[in-house]
Amino acid sequence: MSTQVPSSLVTQPDAHSDKESPRWLGPLVLLGPSGLWLGLLLVIPTLLIFELSLVPGIRPGDIVNPSGLDNYGLIFQPVYFRVIGRSLFFAFGTTFFALLLGFPVAYWIALIAPKQWRNLLLLSFVLPLWTSSLLRSYAWITILRPTGVLNSFLQLIGIPPLDLLNRSPAVLIGMSYSMLPYIVLVLYASLEKLDRRLLEAAADLGANPLQVFWKVTIPQSLPGIVAGALLVFITSLGDFVDPELLGGASSMTLARLIYNQFIGATQNWGFGSALSMILIFLVSLAIALLIKYGDRSQVV
Amino acid sequence: MAPPALNSSHAQSALRSSGATRRNLLITAAFAALGYGLSKIRWRLGGNPNSHPSTPKTLEIYTWSSYVDQKLLDDFKAQTGITEVVVGILGSNEEMLAAIKAGKGGTYSILYPSDYAVTQLVQANKLQPLDHSRLIGLENILPKFRHSVHDPGNRYSIPVSWGTTGLIYNSEKLTPPPRDWSYLWQYPKLLSRRFTLLDDMREVMGATLKSMGYSYNSQNPEEIKQAYEKLVELKPHIASFTTDAWKDQLLAGDLYLAMSYSADAVTLMQEDSRLRYLIPESGTSLWSDTIVIPQPCPNETGAYAWLNFILQPSVAADMTQRLFFATPNQAAYDQLPAPLRNNQSLFPPDALLTKSEGIAPLNEAMTEIYDRYWTKLTSS
Repeated sequence: MSTQVPSSLVTQPDAHSDKESPRWLGPLVLLGPSGLWLGLLLVIPTLLIFELSLVPGIRPGDIVNPSGLDNYGLIFQPVYFRVIGRSLFFAFGTTFFALLLGFPVAYWIALIAPKQWRNLLLLSFVLPLWTSSLLRSYAWITILRPTGVLNSFLQLIGIPPLDLLNRSPAVLIGMSYSMLPYIVLVLYASLEKLDRRLLEAAADLGANPLQVFWKVTIPQSLPGIVAGALLVFITSLGDFVDPELLGGASSMTLARLIYNQFIGATQNWGFGSALSMILIFLVSLAIALLIKYGDRSQVV
Repeated sequence: MAPPALNSSHAQSALRSSGATRRNLLITAAFAALGYGLSKIRWRLGGNPNSHPSTPKTLEIYTWSSYVDQKLLDDFKAQTGITEVVVGILGSNEEMLAAIKAGKGGTYSILYPSDYAVTQLVQANKLQPLDHSRLIGLENILPKFRHSVHDPGNRYSIPVSWGTTGLIYNSEKLTPPPRDWSYLWQYPKLLSRRFTLLDDMREVMGATLKSMGYSYNSQNPEEIKQAYEKLVELKPHIASFTTDAWKDQLLAGDLYLAMSYSADAVTLMQEDSRLRYLIPESGTSLWSDTIVIPQPCPNETGAYAWLNFILQPSVAADMTQRLFFATPNQAAYDQLPAPLRNNQSLFPPDALLTKSEGIAPLNEAMTEIYDRYWTKLTSS
């Protein structure tokens, strides 16, 4: 009995659709599952976080009784601006270094390396993603610490040791490294589609390689660059592991601050929710910029 | 021809845009209604979980990683006939409090909160009073742990270990050796970026307060502010706030000193003879970790079996020898070999203990003051 009921429910709409499939059925079937997923796991939780952010000083076990914007008022303090500023600095820095390091690699794999090796090269670049990000951060501790791998090597060749660990440079190194595979993949996808006839035409018409690169290659791959940069920026803005493990005493970022409000030392879920809304706002802003300027660059 | 066409397309677009605004209006109204509805529903953040009864053969416990090992579990299973013990590892008291208060309890029959967390769990109504008639060997617990400020008379909790907070340091690197908390401020050149403090608000604030001659648990806002300012002065020299990550770096010689709990320090000293543990002269905090039974509890019989197992002097003595933490059980202490009994890092002399304090629970207003300064310190 119980197995028959659902099966009849499933087959009935199909039987109908043969004769007169309602116009809304297609979109419903296609978008329904993911819509439900998004609604239950993204929209409703975000609304709940928003509601919590309206309760001043709520801790676990308290009654949720939204009463105002006090939590947002708390954010307007120099110390939290510094935290937000630091998060933005790490995110911009990571984006910059990931682009700087990732573009030549993607360019080489897509345009110069022998074709039969490309997949292998890409795979080897993505390989680090198969290990835990936590493990990769710990590896950086081993490399960067005062008597670590890097400093032992520097000492060997007679260069004074670098004090990198527990400072901002270590965070930037760790985060750029984590983001590199992603940006290489995105840039590769865009460079691979590059129209080589345009490059040849530019060369034929007398442009030197540098001019070809700036006036043809870069504009053509701009959508890929923008998409890759935003992917890295958004992910770094919420990164938690690298600042925590590599940054030392003065590396509080927005994501860590939020963590502290929920399960860290200071359990203020209301303030944590307000901070989360700020992070969501910053990320949405980045995505809005992607939609606006990402499209325009494709027209160019 | 041209103007009407223009007009009609204009009209069409106007129609379209009015349709769009109508839809926007609808969506806005729907969201407003949803928001209003949400604001009218008063719900509780967390709440009571449904205890799902487990079979009497399984016991789930939520404890610190250093408090259980395979041998302990095997011995327990062999003694009691419980076939499966599921161990959840907790990272900090705050993590456990958040999880239990938010309703994630219900699966665990045994928790291992530290002293002040017991008070908070009792206040939140999350613990079962212990039935002393079902406990065997409670009288072996030292009197000072039977009458603690956190749980006088062991109404809810049984102490399983105790210890101090202090400084572990590399004796080859630090001359003169540290004697008190003030050392951190006295030798900024020697120590700069070569030491870590615990990622623990009460311990770091408390130690600083103590170094200034105030109570570890000061409730005086002016004193707390002074301690904060003293920490701001120290901040550029602190490598990191961490409870665990200092261990490898201290062994490797990258760090010279770390603020640490005695149990971690004594364990690490077994690996490296250069390391010393110091209980600062001016006094420190005395902590204890306890075992409690949460409310609700899926397997009460199993929980009491666990408590009685841990209370056995031979089990407690065994744990002290294997896992290096001080036992509050007098009968277990008597069974320990002499070198361990005389280990002053583990069992410090009474003169030092009388200068030290347990971390006392704070009321909400005081907690907020501590929180504010700690957030300011760690965020800047």
